[in-house]
Amino acid sequence: MATIVNLQEVTKDYGQGQALTHALRGVNLIIEAGEFTAMAGPSGSGKSTLLNIIGGLDRPTSGRVLVDGREIKDLSNTELGLLRRDRLGFIFQSYNLIPVLTALENAEYVLMLQGVPTAERRARVREVLAEVGLEGLEDRYPRQLSGGQQQRVAIARAIVSEPALVLADEPTANVDSKTGKALLDLMHRLNEEKGATFFFSTHEEAVMKRARRLLQLEDGIIRNNGATADIRNTE
Amino acid sequence: MIARLAWRSIWRNRRRTLITVFSIGFGLACTVFFIAIGEGVYAQLIDQVVRLQAGHITMEHPSYRDAPAVDLWIKVPESLRSRIERLPQVERTKLIIMGQGIARSGSGDVSATLMGIEPSVELDTSPLVRHIVAGRYLNEDDGPWVVIGSELAKRLKLKVGKKMVLTTNDAAGNLVDVLCRVRGIFETGSVEIDGYFIQAPIDFARRVFGLPEEGATQLGVILRVPEAQESVLHEVRLMVAEQDIAVLPWQEVIPEIASYIKLDKGSNWIFQAILIFLILFTIFNTILMSVLEREREFAVLLALGTKPVQLRLQILMESAYVGLIGCTLGLLVGGLAAWAAQVWGIDLRSLLEEGFTISGFAVSAKMHARVTAGLLLGTAGLVFGATLILSLIPMHRASRLSIVDQLR
Repeated sequence: MATIVNLQEVTKDYGQGQALTHALRGVNLIIEAGEFTAMAGPSGSGKSTLLNIIGGLDRPTSGRVLVDGREIKDLSNTELGLLRRDRLGFIFQSYNLIPVLTALENAEYVLMLQGVPTAERRARVREVLAEVGLEGLEDRYPRQLSGGQQQRVAIARAIVSEPALVLADEPTANVDSKTGKALLDLMHRLNEEKGATFFFSTHEEAVMKRARRLLQLEDGIIRNNGATADIRNTE
Repeated sequence: MIARLAWRSIWRNRRRTLITVFSIGFGLACTVFFIAIGEGVYAQLIDQVVRLQAGHITMEHPSYRDAPAVDLWIKVPESLRSRIERLPQVERTKLIIMGQGIARSGSGDVSATLMGIEPSVELDTSPLVRHIVAGRYLNEDDGPWVVIGSELAKRLKLKVGKKMVLTTNDAAGNLVDVLCRVRGIFETGSVEIDGYFIQAPIDFARRVFGLPEEGATQLGVILRVPEAQESVLHEVRLMVAEQDIAVLPWQEVIPEIASYIKLDKGSNWIFQAILIFLILFTIFNTILMSVLEREREFAVLLALGTKPVQLRLQILMESAYVGLIGCTLGLLVGGLAAWAAQVWGIDLRSLLEEGFTISGFAVSAKMHARVTAGLLLGTAGLVFGATLILSLIPMHRASRLSIVDQLR
């Protein structure tokens, strides 16, 4: 399997002097294509920082970060933007849909940035929206959709360009448990059927159980890293 | 899609956008209207002055400007006038003899300007003809008859048909006394013109000042459109290149009017600039607020791979949409109001019965605006361009957002 993410001794510090905070302390991590990996840990453990660094939204203080074979620190901001556009998909905790765009337009945004012709991208987006269960809701604006439906649009937006890796920051945190389960089912199905690689943070037990691999992050250090069942048995 | 995103984004806060659009529209409409009124008054003033005096373009002795006197006259052959009048931009040419003297009656004397004119030409062109309040205007056969201003008539206690004596120096320097009679009395509202101005047929003036036939102190050229001044000036200068004649634009002949217009235009523009500045401040505030409110959204767009230049383009387009709608509204309202004021005029005669004077020249209290494509496009272009420039700071800010900070 191809390595999508390779982190070597990654650290991230915020602030300076007495206010210096070590968000990540020498993280080593490899994510292979096709994985469905969850990252758990208490608040402030460094989950979001790790996701931001893998997603090229932030840069590490030290260490090597290779995403899709490219060293993050060697890339300019513009190149990082292109990496995110072409190889990564993002699902945010609070959906972060563009309120003035319809579900279809939100989902097609990345394809538009990639320069995919209108007819082709519309066809692809309709197909993906149908896959995430939003057929018939394409022309609705985010305000006309429920939280779960909005997160489905966000998932569609993240996977429509078939990225190498989908990063999700607590994707079920803002929805009820039933909707959360449905979303997780969807992500699972996309992982199995389409081979989409998912790496997501969570603090929900139910979500952790669904991941094939689980990382446990504490004070910026990965304490446990392995098959979910193994880790949970150890606990 | 960026255009669509920009268009929809400006209507998120409908009330704020509408207030901004109406601010731009109102400000631009005021600017267009008041500048058009100003231009109309200037045009009216220039038209009156050049028709009353020596035209848009004046031909005279090269030394006449330094020391105006009848001995500095020029010979204007009919052939030259014909050539000038054949130019399509020229409405008419007019011969003038200007001299200073003293007007006397049994009741006193007043220093005055005697202007020898061609009555047939003046009847077609001069605004004075419309201001006759007693008697009638001159005609070619009138000989030693004159028209005088109402103030002069009052001071010398003259009425139509009464005699007066003009004392002056002829071109040879001799003191001359001539008897003439009042054919008509005019009243323009200007103290300078009504109090010191006398018009007489040019043949009579030639006799008074001892000038030969075809002799005059000035040949004026009245243009159909003032904008043709430069080109006609050039052509006329070529026509008299071999002769000892100066060809001057009206701005050099009546510099006080040119200076007044320049000064007034300047102060008018300062006023308009303050108005535009206030509008631009509103626009800037709107764009900046709109960007500040959406920093998280911009961060999401950047996270998804939007290039900073695309984000800048989106904000630029939002500003352009607001600017375009506002400018269109302003041009429609201001342009229509100015056009109405151009066609029908604004009648202030109930407030200013006798009109008002500028540098001694009377201007009607019925003001007509003057709308030109240049005025409309120039002011709208200025506001629109400034709107785009104002979006530079918000554009810069949005494209340099810290994605992590905004998404935290």
